[in-house]
Amino acid sequence: RRKALNLFFVDSDLSSSKMSVRVLNPNAEVLNKTAALHMTINAAKGLQDVLKSNLGPKGTIKMLVGGSGDIKLTKDGNTLLKEMQIQNPTAIMIARTAVAQDDISGDGTTSTVIFIGELMKQSERCIDEGMHPRVLVDGFEIAKRATLQFLDTFKTPVVMGDEPDKEILKMVARTTLRTKLYEGLADQLTDIVVNSVLCIRKPEEPIDLFMVEIMHMRHKFDVDTRLVEGLVLDHGSRHPDMKRRAENCHILTCNVSLEYEKSEINAGFFYSNAEQREAMVTAERRSVDERVKKIIELKNKVCAGNDNSFVIINQKGIDPPSLDLLAREGIIALRRAKRRNMERLVLACGGEAVNSVDDLTPDSLGWAGLVYEHVLGEEKYTFVEQVKNPHSCTILIKGPNDHTIAQIKDAVRDGLRSVKNTLEDECVVLGAGAFEVAARQHLINEVKKTVKGRAQLGVEAFANALLVVPKTLAENAGLDTQDVIISLTSEHDKGNVVGVSLVDGEPIDPQLAGIFDNYSVKRQLINSGPVIASQLLLVDEVIRAGRNMRKPT
Amino acid sequence: MTMSMQPYGIQSMLKEGYRHLSGLDEAVIKNIEACKELSTITRTSLGPNGMNKMVINHLDKLFVTNDAATIVNELEIQHPAAKILVLAAKAQQEEIGDGANLTISFAGELLQNAEELIRMGLHPSEIICGYNKAIIKVVEVLEQLVESGSETMDVRSKDEVVSRMRAAVASKQFGQEEIICSLVADACIQVCPKNPTNFNVDNVRVAKLLGGGLHNSCIVRGMVLKSDAVGSIKRMEKAKVAVFAGGVDTTATETKGTVLIHSAEQLENYAKTEEAKVEELIKDVAESGAKVIVSGGSVGEMALHFCERYKIMVLKISSKFELRRFCRAAGAVAHLKLSRPSPDDLGYVDSISVEEIGGVTVTIARNEQGGNSISTVVLRGSTDSILDDLERAVDDGVNTYKAMCRDSRIVPGAAATEIELAQRLKEYANAETGLDKYAISKYAESFEFVPKTLADNAGLNAMEIIASLYTGHGSGNTKLGIDLEEGACKDVSETKVWDLFATKLFALKYASDAACTVLRVDQIIMAKQAGGPRRDAAAAAGAGAEED
Repeated sequence: RRKALNLFFVDSDLSSSKMSVRVLNPNAEVLNKTAALHMTINAAKGLQDVLKSNLGPKGTIKMLVGGSGDIKLTKDGNTLLKEMQIQNPTAIMIARTAVAQDDISGDGTTSTVIFIGELMKQSERCIDEGMHPRVLVDGFEIAKRATLQFLDTFKTPVVMGDEPDKEILKMVARTTLRTKLYEGLADQLTDIVVNSVLCIRKPEEPIDLFMVEIMHMRHKFDVDTRLVEGLVLDHGSRHPDMKRRAENCHILTCNVSLEYEKSEINAGFFYSNAEQREAMVTAERRSVDERVKKIIELKNKVCAGNDNSFVIINQKGIDPPSLDLLAREGIIALRRAKRRNMERLVLACGGEAVNSVDDLTPDSLGWAGLVYEHVLGEEKYTFVEQVKNPHSCTILIKGPNDHTIAQIKDAVRDGLRSVKNTLEDECVVLGAGAFEVAARQHLINEVKKTVKGRAQLGVEAFANALLVVPKTLAENAGLDTQDVIISLTSEHDKGNVVGVSLVDGEPIDPQLAGIFDNYSVKRQLINSGPVIASQLLLVDEVIRAGRNMRKPT
Repeated sequence: MTMSMQPYGIQSMLKEGYRHLSGLDEAVIKNIEACKELSTITRTSLGPNGMNKMVINHLDKLFVTNDAATIVNELEIQHPAAKILVLAAKAQQEEIGDGANLTISFAGELLQNAEELIRMGLHPSEIICGYNKAIIKVVEVLEQLVESGSETMDVRSKDEVVSRMRAAVASKQFGQEEIICSLVADACIQVCPKNPTNFNVDNVRVAKLLGGGLHNSCIVRGMVLKSDAVGSIKRMEKAKVAVFAGGVDTTATETKGTVLIHSAEQLENYAKTEEAKVEELIKDVAESGAKVIVSGGSVGEMALHFCERYKIMVLKISSKFELRRFCRAAGAVAHLKLSRPSPDDLGYVDSISVEEIGGVTVTIARNEQGGNSISTVVLRGSTDSILDDLERAVDDGVNTYKAMCRDSRIVPGAAATEIELAQRLKEYANAETGLDKYAISKYAESFEFVPKTLADNAGLNAMEIIASLYTGHGSGNTKLGIDLEEGACKDVSETKVWDLFATKLFALKYASDAACTVLRVDQIIMAKQAGGPRRDAAAAAGAGAEED
């Protein structure tokens, strides 16, 4: 909506002065050299301050209140950045990186933001002492490459064959979930999340997380959230006489319109007496009725001589007369299912989705042991359960109110991603700040010595910035940050790989405590953080044409 | 150079009009204040002697009630923290249908005590930890307090039902609970299906008719429709009923049809064939034995004419849901189009008649034998607000019935349970070492507000009552509660005040859940208030909702 163009020049040519821009556009605002740098650094630090308290299992919750008074509670950095509607240009850049981090790996948004903030903070010190940003940036580049190499040697490989190690997956999922929800709930969701990913996993095929349906019901408590091996649909049958519960069901998944559709061309009927009109009425419906009859024939074929039930789940509509015919045959029919649910149904129940009723065979039918409807106030839910060998499942989130549900939903999404990442990476990284401390010691003790000249300082700044993760973890847990860092670094110098325990601040072995992070999350973090920080450091002029950057006071 | 003076911090990065609150003083304490305000409002309405509130909502509709769910609903709370409490109350209302006041007041009390702890220097996370331990213990103790022998009950025995329902209804309509309980119990028992857990609240209807008094209220086995019959036949006994969802009229094609007429003769013929067709249809229906036709849509003039001729009574029910209920009440299967119904699809009513009660024409369909179908409580009262309040009491009663069908366990009422919980929790707190101790004992203290409020609202000396309750409970009488009429402590097995276990459990759990959520928040980021059309839209939606 902003009409004026916002320019954000990344330019190292120092000769372009403030005056020359003023000549071109008298209304333009210009910040240059130190002023520009300080603005970006301040913005980065400010954003870091906001998100800092989110990090880790002991992080606090933020309450977001929308324009219409709706409440959202979150601990997730990504959600927070999305909802906050940031305006400062530097902050927007950082926020975008964080969102990219979320898109790629599903976690680590808060870490990204605070890492960038810390990089800027460390650089500020050097720049104030008269260093040129370019030299720092060179140092960052060297440090980044070295850290990535180090990450590859540091990671713990996990073999993911046909039978993946469930314990490792659980630990990874638990680490992620505990940073989003309180402990008791997180532990319960851990099993759900791991089982659901293993359920949809097929050998030799990439994991499609969309095959895990996430459905929510406003009902009972958050700890009643469960995994349904099968499918939950958020609608019910539309006919009062259909059964509410059926066992041993054949499932027909179809995409066939069972309602009368007007012809494309503009047609009209002409009749001269009531009989003729009656005939027209029946003729109109004949084709629809025939389709319904074909389905009923199939039903009679498979259900003859046993008390099995028949369920139709249709992506297209079913009109009341057709529903009526089906109801009389004791068939449960659901109309207008989500397209994605059609895929999930076939994976969950077997059979195949049919697009025409002309050649229906019993082979195209799926099977479910139990189909039932659950009514909550105005909402209806249909459960398709007890399926054989499912390749799709549903995580049914329950909670007493919308904000609890939203919170769990975000967390489950991140948990699923973390399990998927682990399965794909085939390795994990020790958590609880262990990697960051190890990488920092590696940079300071080994890498820095191989670097010539002032770029050393850049490497050092980068190394110290890495420490922000264990520092913040400790700070949020109410521990003394300096104590923690010193005890961690000294342990690492002795050759012990340790992380920080958030209970008492003592060094712990993350492997024993079961704290593992995703490899891809860390990799993305190390990759993107310095790039953005370098870009921001190299800004020497901010030009804004048009509206004032600060709100008029 | 305005930009160089960028303020540091988050505020500069947000859009105009956004507010950001953080930290203990700004966020946590403020939130607690707001929740306290809310619970002070609802608290005085707790219990049988609770005061009524007069709430006028944005539509200028007047509510006189002591039902907390209604009060908070109409107050349109804006403060985010207080809203969390309201949401908890709503969840309670949806889940159980009663106990919303306990939820809000208890959460408010918990937060008030949390504030004291914060001022003492405890960190909110430690309070949350303690409160969580407390609620786990509370659930444990509550299960021990369940009155033995109450696990199984006969949901068809009126006495047992009434004894469990009385406390819930009495807290809404004190003094009239006997009349209401007996009405509700009768209505519920009538429609209770073979498997009581499938009891559907929707099967007990309430018809409010202005005039008369509560003593004129009665139960109708069947339905009361607030409309007149369409034709001139107003009464029918022992009649079979045919239900047509689509309306009683000539059939029409989906595609637009045009009558093709070449001459005047044809025009005349067309009208005749049309007539003949309708007559044939109505005759078919009449021959099937149906004496009453219920239509879900319009009733054509011509169709009506033939109905009259074949002595068929015609009713129109335009609401789809009402029509389904009628089908259930009469045991009929709705047909879509006007056609000859098969004998199985016909319903049956003992009598159906149009009557005038208090100036309102109603159609009453009775079905004396019909087992688990529909029953209606006809409420009479002198003003709309009294009727509304009675309806809420009936709703609470019906919901309590539903809850007891699922879980019939009961715990002592009249604050006996609360004091016992407080006492056991205090013992538990003393055994605990560490900072949790303080939070748990504050949690225990929070329970005292129930007897305190009950006594205060009844004009008794709260301190004395609490002291004597504690003495009684200390000496092992776990069922000692307040007798509000005599203003003394009495064993609840004498006064027969019982609460449902499920109501209490859910209310306490939701309350401590909400309190912990409020305590967990340390930063609030508020968007600019969206103004203007939103409110009007909400008002319009609200008006629509109130009409039905």
